[in-house]
This record gives sequence, structure tokens and C-alpha cells, in this order.
Amino acid sequence: MIVASVGNVLVWAVWLGAAFACLGSAVAVVSFTNPFYSALALIGNLGSLAVLYLLLSSEFVAAAQVLVYAGAVMVMFLFVIAYIGPRTESPWTGGPTWQTIGAVLAAGAILVEIVVAIGLKAGGSLSHSHHVDGAFGTPSYIGRLFLTDHLLAFEITSIVLLVAAIGGVILGAHSRTTADEVPSL
Amino acid sequence: MREPWWISLIKAGVIVNLIMLAFAYTTWLERKLLGRMQNRFGPNRAGPYGLLQPFADLIKLVRKESFFPVAARHPLYIAAPIISMFTALAAFAVIPFGAGWQIWHYHVNGEIANVSIALILIFALGSIGVYGAIIGGWASQSKFSLLGSMRTCAQLVSYEVSLALSVLGVVLMGQSLNLVDIVNKQGATIWFFIPQLAGLLVFFFAMIAETSRPPFDLPEADTELVAGYHTEYGGMRWGLFQTAEYINLITLSALAVTLFFAGWHGPYAPLGPLWFLLKVFIFVSVFIWIRASVPRLRYDQLMRFGWKILLPVATINAVVTALLVVWIS
Repeated sequence: MIVASVGNVLVWAVWLGAAFACLGSAVAVVSFTNPFYSALALIGNLGSLAVLYLLLSSEFVAAAQVLVYAGAVMVMFLFVIAYIGPRTESPWTGGPTWQTIGAVLAAGAILVEIVVAIGLKAGGSLSHSHHVDGAFGTPSYIGRLFLTDHLLAFEITSIVLLVAAIGGVILGAHSRTTADEVPSL
Repeated sequence: MREPWWISLIKAGVIVNLIMLAFAYTTWLERKLLGRMQNRFGPNRAGPYGLLQPFADLIKLVRKESFFPVAARHPLYIAAPIISMFTALAAFAVIPFGAGWQIWHYHVNGEIANVSIALILIFALGSIGVYGAIIGGWASQSKFSLLGSMRTCAQLVSYEVSLALSVLGVVLMGQSLNLVDIVNKQGATIWFFIPQLAGLLVFFFAMIAETSRPPFDLPEADTELVAGYHTEYGGMRWGLFQTAEYINLITLSALAVTLFFAGWHGPYAPLGPLWFLLKVFIFVSVFIWIRASVPRLRYDQLMRFGWKILLPVATINAVVTALLVVWIS
């Protein structure tokens, strides 16, 4: 029993750490003036989200989150930011007042929506007593769901990604031909 | 089989130290082998056969002044080598090196952690490891470092795709992402390097590029970039980058052995970890041999090789394997 309660404390400690890291890094993303630091904070945010996924026993989603978002996507962000260089000479000083008010209102609305949705849907099932079986969250479980229940969404997403890839190639090829036509000085 | 958490903890401590020792003697092996291949002796002053050379190097590096470029971004500059080192060491946690043993009345598994997503975890840690190079190069605030880190980033991201695709055939045949399952499947059926030869070749080349070893050592091409992303590093901080590179080499060799050569299974005697060690040793030696014999690629050759040769081969291999697996079963 002592071991079980130690495990529970550990879960709580990890959850608290990850949740606050998530919030803190999200605030850091928008408060840094140097975009390089903002991108690093975003990586931290994605990483702490992955820890939260792990606590929900969805290890595949957590690993995919780190591999795809924190790994591959954010590398591109950092690559571009490091190439262009931080524009420290003209830091963003904030938008017009109506924008700030609008943002606060929208965030508040989302918060209310989340609270209401959790209150209505989750009801009494927010407890430790709810058990998931060992197969939940494993790659084979998710793979089966993708190819049965969620096949349409899965395929549509893959087509959207394919279109994006083709668009990227066309944009790249287009800029190259126009660059060739301009006589070099 | 579950084991008490403290056994995993002890095993982790032992394995980390064994890997550090293996790293130290990989540098010795490399210098010795390169020396013999270039008709000289290599290190032969510190201890018999130069066996104490790694420790002499370590003491030298640790005792050096930890200097610091004036323009460097302080926390990131220090964090970068730590990130590289951490991801390199952590990846070994899921690699199985034995069948598991009964010690007294505890069961001890042949790996530190047995997780269902082991393979993805290794690639995820690898993709985080890239940040060590990018952050290090950027935080140094030097042109050579920045160019080196850009190159590293482009090279690692390009070859990561081929690396991940090349193991897809193994995953399809082993029907698992769990490395223990894949090893056991090979022990029961056939070593996967025979049906997955194309996958092994792609994995092999992508692996050299991922560890930025010659002939793919463009990130630190010393004739062009001084030393790439770690130009501004010295002492043990530079040592950490170097350690991470060698440990990545050992880990990826171990991964190749696990995926294609049945890990700790051997043809004659059930020696377990010794077979594993022997195979990893052969792999590492082949890498050193390649370093001694192939000149560095040009940058455009590197990119063309990665995207136009390795990637299509890996893709075709994965598709053909998928078709065959469905057709046979």
C-alpha cells in the first residue's frame, strides 16, 4: 500500500510539474521579444504536453508529439529564425487596444467553454478509479482505430498533407524559374 | 516480466557507466585502428598499448579553463552540450542486451525499460538531440558556429527521414515497435538482415550521416568551418559534444544490431550480452574503417545522396515489404 501511495504522489508531482511547465512555457512563448527564445519555449510547451499525454497512458501520442512537433517541425522554426537572425532592433511593442481586449475576451470564452464541457461531460468519471486496459494507447491499438473507425478523417488528412507537399514543391520550383529569368548583374 | 523499480535504477546506473567506458575505449580503438591503417602506431605512450590514453584525455579536458565567448548567450551556451549528452545517453535505455536473468529471487530484464514504443522513442530522442547542435551554434554567436549548426540541422533532418523509413521493413516483419519483440522474433525465425538487406544498407548510410562521421562529417568540416557548431567550445563542454557523438555511434550500432542482427542471439553458444557486445564491436570497427578509407562528400553530393537515392530506396523497400508481409500471411 505504501508503494502504491508513493506511486500516486509521484503521478501527482509529475502532473503538477508538467502542467505548470506547460502554462509557463506558453506564457513565455508570447512574452519573449527574441523569436529564438520563443521557439525554444514552444518546444518546452510541446514537451510538457507530451508528458501529460504519458500520464494519460497514451505513450504513442506522446512519442509522436516529441518526434513530429518538438523534433521535426520546431527544428524548421529554429533553422529559419537562426538564418534570418533575431530582429532585436524592432521588437514588437503590442497591437492596438481593441486587439488586446478581443484576445482576452476570446481566451475567457474558451476557458468558460472548457469548464462547461468538462462539467457536463465528465461528471463523476474524473477519478483515479477509472481503469483503461493495457492495450490502450499502444501503437497497434491506435493503428487499428485509424484504419477502422477513423479511416475517412485519416485519409482526408493525408490528402491535405499531400496537397501541401505538392504546393511547396510548386512554390519552390516557381521561384527558381523566375530567379533564372532575371539577368544577373 | 515486471521487475522492482530499484532494479531498473541500479541497471540504469551500471549501463550509463558501462557506456561511458565503452565510449572511452571507442576513442582509443579509433585512434589505434586509424593509426595502423595509416601505417603508424597510434597512441602508445600512456600505459601499455596506450590503454590509459582515454583517461589522460579526460583529465586534460576536465582541467582546462572553461572559457566563454563574450557575445555568447549564457544559459543556452551551457545547456547545448548537456542536451546533446542527455539525449545520447537516454536512447540506450530501451535497447535489449540480454534475455533476462533470475538473480536470487528477483527477475532482472535484459534491458533498462521495456516500452511498446521503443523504436519511436529512440528516434524522438535523436530528433531532440539535434537541438544540442543548433542551440550550441546559435548561442556561440559566431559565423562559423552558426554555419556549422545550419549544416548539421539540414543534414540530420534530411537523413532522419531515410533512417526512420529504412527500419519500417523490420517493424513490418517483426510486427512490433518493441525492440524486445523484434529481437525475439529474429531469434525464432530469421535474422532480418537477410530479407531486409536494402533496409540495412539505407540504415547504415543514414546512420553514418546521423552521427556526422566521415565521409558525412560536413557539420564539422574543419577545412571549411574550423569545427562547425562547436568552434567556440573548449574543455569539457567540447568534450561533452564529442562524447555525445561517440555515444550516438555506439547506440545506433546497438540499434542496428538489435534490428538486423538479432541483438543478443548468437549462432552457437547462448552467451547473451557477449554476442551483443561482439556485434556492436564489429559495427563500430566498420565505421572506423570507413573513416580511414572514404574522403568527405561535397555538400550537394550529400544532399543528393540523401534525398534522391536513400529516400526512394527506403520507400520502395517499405512498400515491397508491406506487400510481401500481407501476401505471405
